[in-house]
Amino acid sequence: MDASLFGALGGQLLGIIPLGDIVFYFTPLNLFMCAAALAFTFLIAISQTESQVEAEFGSLHDREVKVEKKEFKIRRFLAIVCGLATAGAMVTGDLFDFTLFVCLIGIVNIGIVAAVKQVDVLDAAYQYGLIAMIASLPLFGGASLILASAGTISLLQLVQLSYTTPMMALGSILVFMGVAGESGVAPFFATKAEMFRTPGSPFLLIIHLSSLLVIVRMIEILLIINKPF
Amino acid sequence: MIVPDVVSPVVVALYTPAIIVGIIAGLIGLLGIAVEKNDLQILILTDLVGISMMIFVCAVGTDLAESLVLPGLVVELAEILAISEVLMSREIRRNGKEVALIPLPMHMDMEILDTSPVVIAILLIAVGAFESGFTGGAVAGGGILFYVLSRTMRGVPSGMWEGIAGASGISWCLWLAGFMVFFVFPQYWLLALFLAAFGVFIKVAFKAGLIGVIGREEFKKE
Repeated sequence: MDASLFGALGGQLLGIIPLGDIVFYFTPLNLFMCAAALAFTFLIAISQTESQVEAEFGSLHDREVKVEKKEFKIRRFLAIVCGLATAGAMVTGDLFDFTLFVCLIGIVNIGIVAAVKQVDVLDAAYQYGLIAMIASLPLFGGASLILASAGTISLLQLVQLSYTTPMMALGSILVFMGVAGESGVAPFFATKAEMFRTPGSPFLLIIHLSSLLVIVRMIEILLIINKPF
Repeated sequence: MIVPDVVSPVVVALYTPAIIVGIIAGLIGLLGIAVEKNDLQILILTDLVGISMMIFVCAVGTDLAESLVLPGLVVELAEILAISEVLMSREIRRNGKEVALIPLPMHMDMEILDTSPVVIAILLIAVGAFESGFTGGAVAGGGILFYVLSRTMRGVPSGMWEGIAGASGISWCLWLAGFMVFFVFPQYWLLALFLAAFGVFIKVAFKAGLIGVIGREEFKKE
């Protein structure tokens, strides 16, 4: 591998973790995003969202709302998994691993949204689930188009190719559409169900953080695959 | 050229028709979703879209594509299970009726469920343990599921479900640890192979606990 080619990876290559044919690599940008996701996951893991302070209407008093710890167990777990999957998607050097991490984020987001047992919220979770499932078609389809046209899905190999065929460009755009459907629309459905006013809403912020970081990372991957840029 | 010369040109020429079939299947599914208004049928049509995704991946037809088919299938199954759980949970909440732990379409009060569940279950588990791996796990899981079904007539304690799910999760971790050993220390492949084989055997056998019954607080537990 020629060291000068790694300039196209979006920064200096700081190191790789080879696990068989699954390779994680670190550049300053994706290392920073991974660290941000991990730091936020740590905050979620230690935060105590069982007690919440609400302002009362018509007076200057505050009211403390206590929610049972048991109710939050599953949501906290799902939020932590979502954060770890986001961190993994930031540093993976394999396009198919990236799509799998994004799918994991999608499934976990369905779980976080569906954890509130109200009919309206479950309705939003159901619709989000349908979108996420439909989006897996462009996500995996795009990745397999890139595999078929380039012969590899390792980003470290793709960055060394000197050309981009139209099929690869189409595949990368399909992957982008898939990412938008799996994780990009999640905040919309969370907001649609007005989940930010339900108890335990701090866990919901991981949905926003993950969709933000994943989209940034996806644009980085688009730039890696499509050569003129 | 990306494709090596040893591959027959007929196989290479199959790629484009396969992609076209995938696109057509996906379009049919999406059209159906656009027209249909019944929630359950939309869910089933979404599965059709997922299958066209599998066609896309399978069309590549290399070793790597084969190893990508399984995660794709698992993701597809996980999503459809999650969405159907959400749908069931919503309908149960909307109806507001009490639902049994294992909802059955008919009243299965057969005599065989009273007299011989233990023998049949032990037989199936023994056959499964002999086979080991994924198939063995499925056979043994059938045995456990049969036993649980027959016990349902008299009432299954919910602690039993939680125990089964816990054992299933631990063996799943064994399987994952086996795979990590494969990646990190390839020289200990035999240990990794056995960890993975027996982890997946116990895991699949205890799948009964993870069909989704466990997490439903809507259901009446006994």
